[in-house]
Amino acid sequence: MIDALETAERAVAAAEADAAEAVVMAERSGFARFAASEVHQPTLVEDATLSLRVVRDGKVGLAATNDVGDEGLARLARRAAESADSAPAEDSFPGLAEPLPLPAVGGYDEELAALGPDDQARLAAAAIEASPFPVYGYVTSGVTGVAVASSRGVRAEQQLTDATTVVLAAGEAVSGWAERTSWRAAELDPAAVGREAGETAARTRGARGLDPGRYAAVLERYAIGELLLYFSLDSLNGLGLLEERSYFSGRLGEQVFDSRFSIADDALDPAGLPKGFDFEGVPKRRIPLVENGVARGVVWDRETAARAGNGQVSTGHAPTPLEREWGPQALALSVAGGEAESTEELAALVGDGIFVTRLHYLGIVDPREGVITGMTRDGTFRIRNGRLAEPLVNLRFTVSVPEVLREVPGLTREPVVVNTNDFYGARYPFGVITPALATAAFNVTGTGSAPGV
Amino acid sequence: MRDLCASAVEAALAAGASYADARALLRRNQTVATKNGRVEAVRDVESEGIGVRVLVGGAWGFASDRRLTPAGAVETARRAAAFARAAPGSHERRLAEIPPAKGTYRTPLERDPLAVPLDEKVEHCLRAEAALAHPDVKVAQAFVRAQREHKVLVSSDGADVEQELVECGAGIDALASANGSSQIRSYPSAHSGWSAQAGWEYVESLGLEREAPRVADQAAALLRADPCPAGRTTVVLDAEQLHLQLHESVGHPIELDRVYGTEAAYAGTSFLSPGDLGSLRYGSEHMNVTADSTLAGGLGTFAFDDEGVPAGRQPIVEEGVLRGFLTSRETAARLGVGVGGSMRADSWSRMPLVRMTNLSLEPGAGTLEDLIAVDDGIYMETNKSWSIDDKRLNFQFGTQIAWEIKRGRLGRMLRDATYTGITPQFWGSMDAVAGPEAWVVSGLTNCGKGQPGQTAHVSHGASPARFRDVQVGVRA
Repeated sequence: MIDALETAERAVAAAEADAAEAVVMAERSGFARFAASEVHQPTLVEDATLSLRVVRDGKVGLAATNDVGDEGLARLARRAAESADSAPAEDSFPGLAEPLPLPAVGGYDEELAALGPDDQARLAAAAIEASPFPVYGYVTSGVTGVAVASSRGVRAEQQLTDATTVVLAAGEAVSGWAERTSWRAAELDPAAVGREAGETAARTRGARGLDPGRYAAVLERYAIGELLLYFSLDSLNGLGLLEERSYFSGRLGEQVFDSRFSIADDALDPAGLPKGFDFEGVPKRRIPLVENGVARGVVWDRETAARAGNGQVSTGHAPTPLEREWGPQALALSVAGGEAESTEELAALVGDGIFVTRLHYLGIVDPREGVITGMTRDGTFRIRNGRLAEPLVNLRFTVSVPEVLREVPGLTREPVVVNTNDFYGARYPFGVITPALATAAFNVTGTGSAPGV
Repeated sequence: MRDLCASAVEAALAAGASYADARALLRRNQTVATKNGRVEAVRDVESEGIGVRVLVGGAWGFASDRRLTPAGAVETARRAAAFARAAPGSHERRLAEIPPAKGTYRTPLERDPLAVPLDEKVEHCLRAEAALAHPDVKVAQAFVRAQREHKVLVSSDGADVEQELVECGAGIDALASANGSSQIRSYPSAHSGWSAQAGWEYVESLGLEREAPRVADQAAALLRADPCPAGRTTVVLDAEQLHLQLHESVGHPIELDRVYGTEAAYAGTSFLSPGDLGSLRYGSEHMNVTADSTLAGGLGTFAFDDEGVPAGRQPIVEEGVLRGFLTSRETAARLGVGVGGSMRADSWSRMPLVRMTNLSLEPGAGTLEDLIAVDDGIYMETNKSWSIDDKRLNFQFGTQIAWEIKRGRLGRMLRDATYTGITPQFWGSMDAVAGPEAWVVSGLTNCGKGQPGQTAHVSHGASPARFRDVQVGVRA
């Protein structure tokens, strides 16, 4: 893999500009994707994306390449300059970030970085063998080198490792789901993932329907993690706040959720997938978003912070250079744990309701009100008398996330990182650290197919 | 690039592969986006690399490398073979026989969109966006995109293909906000506009500046519109919403890799089974669906797919009955029907998957006015939200705007319109499709599938259509 920082510095030196900032994302990864218990889509990737943002006479342009040789850099510099020259001068551009001390974080493990294709295949075999049902999913591991360098003196570099095991154990009318993500090789246990998925699947035979309506629910961490990520895209994003797409628009400082619910963005937490800086080289820090149910803030990059005014500064959440239009992203969400020892205790708190393992194909119906629709799958159960009862078919839900979080009878004690990365484009590991959560209101609006493939 | 691919195939065979193909690809894309009078992005991105796919002992292996060098190509081939050899499973795979693919192809176009100066693109966006000005519109944005993809495919079955695919597109959005509520209106669609394989003339034909005042007025009017009522009623969908309905509830279920379960853990499977071919009633007799990778301007148009299978047009649904699947050489051989032709990868670093090409609902007869000639109903335009279950049965869509239909006329505007249904019942309730005069094609660039994720560019054609007894107005 290339030296990310050295490449970024060469790009800055090659720039023909008043100011320049280069971002490198280098990747070496392997995917052992399997279906019906055999690997069918194995993918090995060696890539490096180099983005160069330049400022010329107050005009800003961006170009990117994966040809990091001298000729490639010269062409990149020329295209970046052409991009800038084509734009009108930008008065609101806040300038490039100043160099700041970066926090020391983990996130890199030599043993994981050393995993190669044979290891990925071996780990996939372990997941496959652990399930009593045919399995579908993947084992992936990879190394990502991220670097930011600028003419203003930013020199930021980090090596990240990550590995994820996903297992859907499924047969005729049964299916169960499990997943584990870590940046440390010692924490990989694909067999445990296979077993968990198999155990859930075994309980889903004979699934029944359910009448639409509001139910109390236990949302396993896979489910609540994905729901919160979708909610965050508009509502916890500074650009969403500025453009009034956020549920937090006009509500900062208000008690919006149950006092048991607190969430931050915390890329420094070693229990997640730690990072020391964002894609402008701004240091990461813990950002409280909701404290004891009170809306405290959203995340910002330099551009949105400058537009917000009022002394707002970047919180270290600039997205990748190719995704800047989306605004700052909270990709290290971290939900505070509660007092329940297990999901069984949450079921006891709910009494009568449903248990949801995993969600599928979420769609944002109304960002301003946090309304999201989707399906449950691979482990949906009725809760009766405080215990898991009969399995249910996949349920369509249309929920207001604020309503889901308005009454939270409990959360499990230990938050665990859930992978929320589908690995589109350049590899950059992220996930949500969350416990399982009980809610008093989960709106079921229809039913779908039975479990199984 | 051809020599690199040939040497990669040779190296793969030497490493024990019974089959190998190599794709080398150069891609350049440009994006210009403006928002509220300022330039949001001027971006020029290039990517290049080689991907080598092999069969070793019946197991697939795939490796990719950004280096377009002889050493990189050979090393990539060897890594692919080694990965295949390590893959757990029983692995018995057969590929449908095809004649060796030979040829070149280039998207026909008048004005190369990548040759259009960036400042002209910026100006195009700023003009369109300025026309969105309205007191209630808080966010006005416009964008244009252009892409050129030059790719070479060489395989051990004799494929030797070179293609240059050029596409471009554009769109505008107006977000209106007042009194704590927001409404968005877009043209020509909500999700990255529309794109086509064509020259810059396509972007100009969209008429962003011309449509902008209507878009802004409607966004503002939606702030004061009544919400879509809940209940069961007749629904008329515009062509754009039908494109996504078709995409989600027909295009994905007919992908034969999904039917065989290879997407089960992520995108999902299908309610269809191989034995449904020729017998399953998918919809009403008005439903005729075609997959056509030769459609002029389609984002799924090519001369050969990424396995070297020649492009073609095939019936998918005829008078409501399932007649075809989208296939690869492997899945076609397993089904015993066809030879594939739908395999595409979204880059050099991804394996080809079965993807939609250009999937269209064939036109019926009459006009939109004929469709709304009912006593009661709702007419819905422009997708806003979408979701469908893992077997592609239970769906829920929302549209940006709707109008009540009363006694054959459009009445009051409605906001927050949603409808939901079950795929075969919904298509079974379709009692009319408008004619060829109302038939339009759009291209979308955000179709996700695969792990690691891949984003396909596909097109759909449709005329507006009418559906009876549909559940509308789903609420949180």
